[in-house]
Amino acid sequence: MDKMNHSSAEAEAETIEPLRYLSKGEVAAIETELLRDYRFGQQQLIEIWGQACAIAITKAYPLSSLAKKQPTVLVICGPDQNGSIGLVCARHLRMFEYEPTIYHPKRSSQSLHQDFTVQCEKMDIPFLSYLPTEVQLINDAYNLVIDAMLGPEADCANIKEPYSGILVTLKQIKTPIVSVDVPSGWDVEETSQDGINPEVLISLTAPKKCAASFSGKHFLAGRFLPYDIQKKYELNLPEYPGTDCLIEL
Amino acid sequence: MCGRSDEADASSLLQPGPRRKAYPLSSLAKKQPTVLVICGPDQNGSIGLVCARHLRMFEYEPTIYHPKRSSQSLHQDFTVQCEKMDIPFLSYLPTEVQLINDAYNLVIDAMLGPEADCANIKEPYSGILVTLKQIKTPIVSVDVPSGWDVEETSQDGINPEVLISLTAPKKCAASFSGKHFLAGRFLPYDIQKKYELNLPEYPGTDCLIEL
Repeated sequence: MDKMNHSSAEAEAETIEPLRYLSKGEVAAIETELLRDYRFGQQQLIEIWGQACAIAITKAYPLSSLAKKQPTVLVICGPDQNGSIGLVCARHLRMFEYEPTIYHPKRSSQSLHQDFTVQCEKMDIPFLSYLPTEVQLINDAYNLVIDAMLGPEADCANIKEPYSGILVTLKQIKTPIVSVDVPSGWDVEETSQDGINPEVLISLTAPKKCAASFSGKHFLAGRFLPYDIQKKYELNLPEYPGTDCLIEL
Repeated sequence: MCGRSDEADASSLLQPGPRRKAYPLSSLAKKQPTVLVICGPDQNGSIGLVCARHLRMFEYEPTIYHPKRSSQSLHQDFTVQCEKMDIPFLSYLPTEVQLINDAYNLVIDAMLGPEADCANIKEPYSGILVTLKQIKTPIVSVDVPSGWDVEETSQDGINPEVLISLTAPKKCAASFSGKHFLAGRFLPYDIQKKYELNLPEYPGTDCLIEL
């Protein structure tokens, strides 16, 4: 560094690079590396993410802030990883004394996902057998709806039942929606056109491109990513406060 | 009680919050926030590995001594995760006590868990325990102080400053006189009732509580 420009070079070195928003491909690549090279287990990652989601929800909607008499929360879980994260999140919400109810219409055949389901069942968390289409029933029963249906790997152009139907319902409810990682139905890389409109988005590990156009409350959760991966993908993650596993963006 | 999947769960869930609470970064006396984490061959050791990784995320500088590695792939995974976080692994532990006193702010004892046979402690752990009885650096024990009989008052075992009981305290902890944390807030209510654990109320969303 040129010694004469010492102070400006110093200022340059301290400039914070902007947070990166990831593409679908980058999300998949990072996860592959974590599992293959860093030897994280899938169960381990899902547990970390699910717990971080639950903590983010308690920050955005503390028990005392919930309007209804009971701290009810509806957690809608998809068939894949996003759904499993929802299951873990529901379990932690139960430990935090919320009253989660799970709607998990299509269960994965993977034993890992089934384990998460059993863990929730053994916590006495009720599982709905169907989701009311009458919007007022949802508005009346739940303080929050956690959208853990579709993750960044989902094909948003090709959403099958029952999720397409559920998304229609979610566009009509008044209950605030919290989306896990990406709002279900949104294109991961595009601005949302007419998708659901969550109040809160909890990005896991790093935000996805579509989050750049998200106008609600945005959390980044899941503080475990090895520094080497952060550098390799130039994530420029913000500094988490203290030992918190989440930060509001 | 705890099956295979619980191990990963418990390990993933264990946040070294107690260590940060007991020894915040700013409180550490040495210039660098160095921490020595001594890991045994079984679950207690794996918990230590996960703990070291999180300490690294919290900007402590852990160093791991993990003399005997388990052959279980799960335990090996935890080792790789630490190596990929650039956490140094010592190839041997100095027997000279002053070297440890000078180098580290804390020693985390993650050698032997409640399943260990305290009457039959093999090398290298018996030797390490001898060293630990002489160091001045504060010791934090994971779940049970290594070498203690799980159910008895300790006679002449190591003397940690902090004990972090996992899920529920063990009998020997009743005679522990240092700072005692309970950590790991995930235990299903049914198990709590079945074993009449009478766990205290964790504050807010904390996963640990000081007893």
